[in-house]
Amino acid sequence: MIKKILIANRGEIAHRIIKACRELDIISAAIYSEADKLALHVRRADEAYLIGPSPASESYLNKEKIIKLAKEIGADAIHPGYGFLSENAEFILMVEESGIIFIGPSSKSVKLMGEKTSARRLMKTNNVPIVPGTTAPIKSVDEGKKIAAEIGYPVMLKAAAGGGGKGMRKISNDEEFESAYNRAKNESLKAFGNDDVYLEKFIEHPKHIEVQILADKFGNYLHLFERECSVQRRHQKVIEEAPSIAVDELTRKKITNAAIDAAKACKYYNAGTIEFLMDSDKSFYFLEMNTRLQVEHPVTEMITGIDIVKQQIKIASGEKLTLRQEDIRIHGHAVECRIYAEDVDNNFAPSTGKIVHHRLTSGPGIRIDRGIDVMSEVPIYYDPMLSKVIAWGTDRNEAIVRMQRALGEYQISGVITNIPVFRWILKQKVFLDGTFDINFLDNDFMPLVPDKWKDTTSEEYEEVAAVLSALLKSKEQELSLSKNKIATSNLWRDQNYE
Amino acid sequence: MNEMIITINNRKHSVKINNSSEVEINNRKVPAEISQINNNAFLLRYNNKVFEITAHKLEKEKYGILIDGCYFDVLVRTQIQENANDLQKNKNISAKKLNIKAPMPGLLLKLKKNIGDSVKAGEPLLILEAMKMENEIRSPANGIVKEILFKEGQSVEKNSIILTFE
Repeated sequence: MIKKILIANRGEIAHRIIKACRELDIISAAIYSEADKLALHVRRADEAYLIGPSPASESYLNKEKIIKLAKEIGADAIHPGYGFLSENAEFILMVEESGIIFIGPSSKSVKLMGEKTSARRLMKTNNVPIVPGTTAPIKSVDEGKKIAAEIGYPVMLKAAAGGGGKGMRKISNDEEFESAYNRAKNESLKAFGNDDVYLEKFIEHPKHIEVQILADKFGNYLHLFERECSVQRRHQKVIEEAPSIAVDELTRKKITNAAIDAAKACKYYNAGTIEFLMDSDKSFYFLEMNTRLQVEHPVTEMITGIDIVKQQIKIASGEKLTLRQEDIRIHGHAVECRIYAEDVDNNFAPSTGKIVHHRLTSGPGIRIDRGIDVMSEVPIYYDPMLSKVIAWGTDRNEAIVRMQRALGEYQISGVITNIPVFRWILKQKVFLDGTFDINFLDNDFMPLVPDKWKDTTSEEYEEVAAVLSALLKSKEQELSLSKNKIATSNLWRDQNYE
Repeated sequence: MNEMIITINNRKHSVKINNSSEVEINNRKVPAEISQINNNAFLLRYNNKVFEITAHKLEKEKYGILIDGCYFDVLVRTQIQENANDLQKNKNISAKKLNIKAPMPGLLLKLKKNIGDSVKAGEPLLILEAMKMENEIRSPANGIVKEILFKEGQSVEKNSIILTFE
């Protein structure tokens, strides 16, 4: 039995894992960097330990220090969350060798799937369809150009060690190749410490469909259906849903089977996700496997009623899966919006600062997973995601209207967020009818930035904003007046006490 | 008296505060009353509806306002400030000096131009790394690089001037 878990992460996911620990009566131990002294995950954990200076490389990515701390505080297990060390096979191996339980897959599975070219080879031999392209890293610009000519432009350069859109470049012709190649290599090296890149045929209008799987250490495999994650900007997911409106029963059967085959191929255990690209004719290709918990796991939890984090902990502690595939059903529909601290009209620049006001939205079907609260700092060092709003409805339409309502109620001040973008997306015809693909935001939204996407129906709000700001400005003068008065009265009181 | 010029999305509105329960917007009288919940949350009774609004001051004269999931960048000036600003603007145009500011806080990864280089609009000037992504900053106009105020490897605050050109 696991009694204490060290959570090697921060933000909303650390907070989410703390909740699972509490429900399982397990002690949660948070780590934090200097920038995160008062972060929400630190406030909520049973114990919290300073791990190092603010830069992630000296804190949340410091493998030795984290394992040493886990031993010192008597943690039986480490949960890595997502990002940071979650898919770092070397770290996982170090954890395994230290005798501490890693809440996730084995270092072997992670290594197999983490090196994208070897994963592609493995899938190919196990009859899981892959996107046409190389199954080994490219060694030079010339070799890359030659292969690109064979499979035909446009092509995609991807980091072999990668994920999350980093180190990824689309190339349309020979002229673009060299600079894209160098930038992709550079970014990969920075993000993953490895500059291997490989080539894939660029599929023109695919959807991003992924399948959540669960597997125990006894060879039992389950899937929790698919998620639709095609609303992306620069390959970063913005909105996710479950199930996908574009997946019919037959496709669902095929794609979930392929996902389980993929998981079996790398002898996977714990929770994982197999990502696919799906063409308009419903043929799908293996993209990569995320060997960890994902940001968008709540939409699956909402439609299946299964707590994925608790399942992860149970699997890691050696329990058998008690769920049976035939009992798991899709109930309703769920949508998730990722709230980022970013200034959309200023080139999506991260917005840093202190949260001075935060009021969560609530009501039927709404769930919020968050990493911030009032007085939280949003530091420059880490991913700018603040929270996730998840809406559930009996059908897709109800989930969407609930999301619209919930986003309207969400109040936050101190940083600029992307909430208004969701107001725009959730009204678009292609979003509502489900025909969008992964190019949706790049094609329909990006040309309207800056400013042109701003709602034309919010004239009334614009007027209200004008009136409020005029009142605030005039109040500012009043406030400075009242300040003076207080100062005078204090002076008088001080004298009296003397 | 007391007229303010409010600029939102490049549109200007005129607002006069008549008393604590009435304003005049674009020469229309509207009942309006403000209550404060905390430093950043307000209630505004406007016509027959109460709006819950989040607001923060971005800089002098500038507010960020969130209403029902819609965000507004608002510039508030008294009529006098507005006039003064118009004058200033005309001056700046005649000077023809252009500052390239950091659109986000980050690390100056690479400078692609040296002092004295001529630059065409759309040409990459520098690469700024923020949140682990490399962002290419391109030139908004043609010109010649006059000054470079940072070195490669230095971190820059948002809005700090990285280079200037004429």
